[in-house]
Amino acid sequence: MRTPLFGSFEAPESGNHAVGLFQRIDSPMRRYRDRDEVDYLIVGCGSAGGVLLQRLSRAGFRVAALEAGPFWDTERDWVSDESGSHKLYWEDLRVTGGADPLALGANNCGKGVGGGSVHWAAFTPRFHPSDFEVYTRDGVGADWPFGYETLRPYYEQLELEMPVAGPAWFPWGHPHGYTYGPHPMGGVGNALIKGCTALGIPVSIGGPVAILSGSRADRPHCIYRGYCIQGCKVGAKASTLVTHVPDAIANGAEVREYAMASRIEVGKDGRVTGVHYFDRDGASWFQRAKAVIVAGYSIETPRLLLNSACTGHENGLANSSDTVGRYLMAQAGNVILGRFDQLVRMYKAPPAHALTEEFYETDPHNDFARGFAIQTVGPLPIAFGKQMVSAKRAWGWGLRREMMDYNHWATFGLLGEILPWPDNRVTLADDRDQFDLRVANVSFSLHDNDKKLIKAAKEKTMEVMHAAGATEVVQEARYAHLVGAARMGSDPRTSVVDKFGRTHDVANLFVCDGSILPTQGSANPGLTIQALAARTADYLVAQGDAIFNAGTRDMSEPRLRGDLAPPGTYGRGVPRIK
Amino acid sequence: MTTTRARTKPHSLANADTSLLPRNVVSGEPLPPTEQPGYYPGYSTLSQRAYWDQATRDLVVDRVERIARIRHFSDEQARFWRTVFDHVLPQTDRVPQRRISLVERLDERLFQNRGVGYRYANMPHDREAYRLAEIAINQESQARYTGNFIDLPHLQQEAVLKAVHDGKPEAARPIWKQMSIRRFWQLLMQDAIEAYYAHPWAWDEIGFGGPAYPRAYTRLERGEPEPWEVEEERYEWTAPPYSISDTTESTHHLHTESSQNNFIPDESQ
Repeated sequence: MRTPLFGSFEAPESGNHAVGLFQRIDSPMRRYRDRDEVDYLIVGCGSAGGVLLQRLSRAGFRVAALEAGPFWDTERDWVSDESGSHKLYWEDLRVTGGADPLALGANNCGKGVGGGSVHWAAFTPRFHPSDFEVYTRDGVGADWPFGYETLRPYYEQLELEMPVAGPAWFPWGHPHGYTYGPHPMGGVGNALIKGCTALGIPVSIGGPVAILSGSRADRPHCIYRGYCIQGCKVGAKASTLVTHVPDAIANGAEVREYAMASRIEVGKDGRVTGVHYFDRDGASWFQRAKAVIVAGYSIETPRLLLNSACTGHENGLANSSDTVGRYLMAQAGNVILGRFDQLVRMYKAPPAHALTEEFYETDPHNDFARGFAIQTVGPLPIAFGKQMVSAKRAWGWGLRREMMDYNHWATFGLLGEILPWPDNRVTLADDRDQFDLRVANVSFSLHDNDKKLIKAAKEKTMEVMHAAGATEVVQEARYAHLVGAARMGSDPRTSVVDKFGRTHDVANLFVCDGSILPTQGSANPGLTIQALAARTADYLVAQGDAIFNAGTRDMSEPRLRGDLAPPGTYGRGVPRIK
Repeated sequence: MTTTRARTKPHSLANADTSLLPRNVVSGEPLPPTEQPGYYPGYSTLSQRAYWDQATRDLVVDRVERIARIRHFSDEQARFWRTVFDHVLPQTDRVPQRRISLVERLDERLFQNRGVGYRYANMPHDREAYRLAEIAINQESQARYTGNFIDLPHLQQEAVLKAVHDGKPEAARPIWKQMSIRRFWQLLMQDAIEAYYAHPWAWDEIGFGGPAYPRAYTRLERGEPEPWEVEEERYEWTAPPYSISDTTESTHHLHTESSQNNFIPDESQ
């Protein structure tokens, strides 16, 4: 066996906590006691929770996050292996049904510090201005309680904090460019470019994707190993575990791992007083807080609110509108697979490295509202095998034969907007989890517009694959991402939270994660979730005393606090010239 | 890559049952079992393990060296599911010592009661699903060939499983009424694939590069191999004569997940 010059690669000996190849968390972490009352208690330390924790701790608040999963040490805990990465996903029981049931788990749900940002592919397109006024423009879905321009400065800021690599000119939605350079192409990206170009479709090459194309500070550049959704051991792909949590710890925040929130406590005055949770041994604890922010994503957030039903909130906490759990959305994520005579080897390069949003907007020639994007994806062998079972009904020798051709296939994922419908919802099932808590029951059904959109998007994406030179094109129907189920809006009768994420019903209870999105566009939601978290953080910082002490609701927009960004990420460009 | 790239030695065909072996497409002769089927002769991901990070190396090497003991299934059940896996993921083209353990991985998952994060509303829990499916498959075998599945000849076993694959069983209606036959097939195939294609011998077979941290992949375009990978060398083969599983059928006209995987009749046209 050939070995490297200095012997086999061994894990670093440092006893410090590794997040990525070089970055270490070496400051001791604060630990609040039960009788301590923190200012802000965050439930869930994922995409939104990580950003909130960082901002609030840097602003000087006493802040802690309850995280159901572990605080990863990436060198010790993560592997370059599909089968060995299941622990990154939320694989506790849920029930999924309806006419078009959603696959959950590895498909869309994270567990552990960093949450879904640990296993996202890290495509980070912004939403288009039209996404914020879908109802006004198309008479379907809903409007957001604010417009694109309100979120735009936060998009620009979070693109620097992750940071996002991409082309200097991105033509769709609100046109913009990226500070960090685009990534080189892999075989799948080249196929997308070839197919799109043959059909006259513009294509964005090398991003936007939250993966470092060059090293920055203590984070190395991408090594194109293709295991993005198994967790980036390199630390090149952005997750809040590497981008925000280290700064939060340095500023005195606490992340309490293996802390599974079970119920939010409401006091006699109608304000929340803290959160009950179980530790990994099943012991029950209570953490007091002046205000609580639920950041558990589109399944666990409504589940926690519904499991927190109490006197005065019989239908679930903050659910006077009967909207908690409703308007759950997934995006159509059909994968189109094309076989090429020449080798592709699609396991190389990040799955996310090229896309087109040419079909994103409503087209009056279509028989449906809204649109879709086409993106590169790069399934590793196990995922590809499952796709062959669906796309070609392969089994036995047929499966072995298809798999031997793995290196000849390229794959595109369409990302199609599915509209928010009240009957697509999270309720409580009769099944119980390991803590004896009722698990989520997820019901999902496509409506007419959704089905027409998926059909058209699938046909267009297959056309692009043919144009790229594929000699055989097949398709696996599936869904990607989750948002909604605790949506924001101006009207307390039809929404759960206001435009800053504060619940309409309880003055010191907030929701901040993908569940507050009223609509989803056909952009991956990760960037938008983190941008919303940074904006909510600015509001929480500005309003602190009023939130802790008063019932009044100040609806004025906060100013963007660039001074609360992680070190070296605020300004006109990074690395930045003063 | 080690310096020796000789083709793996073919296994002797003396005394072997050749009816279950893939064939040379031209001569029709059975292809002898080898240590490594596929189009990448001599390629070995494991030979690169010194370049992998320690956590990955420990995990993958353990997967090769440690075969889990059967703890959930009874001996009889394990034999039943091993026979099923021999059809849904056949390995007769591999020499016996290079076959990948499949039922042991399923058994371990069920023993630990480890799910994948959700249960379809029209499915029982996974342990119950496998228990019911064994009964249903035996009833199907009885209805078609008046024998238990395990006792049937190879080709009849395959026909029984094809009925499940097609979602067209003749027997066990009460069971398939409380459990979606399509979702069960999906579950079975996922468990087979999770076991087989997690193994470095399967990576070698299909030419997958395997772990590349901290070293990196450097040749991203045109399907070119890294210095430690090898070029493809294709050969044509047909499935064994005693098999009906070497057919595929594109389902690209089924554009929703439920119509594609859960077989909704009115959308299947």
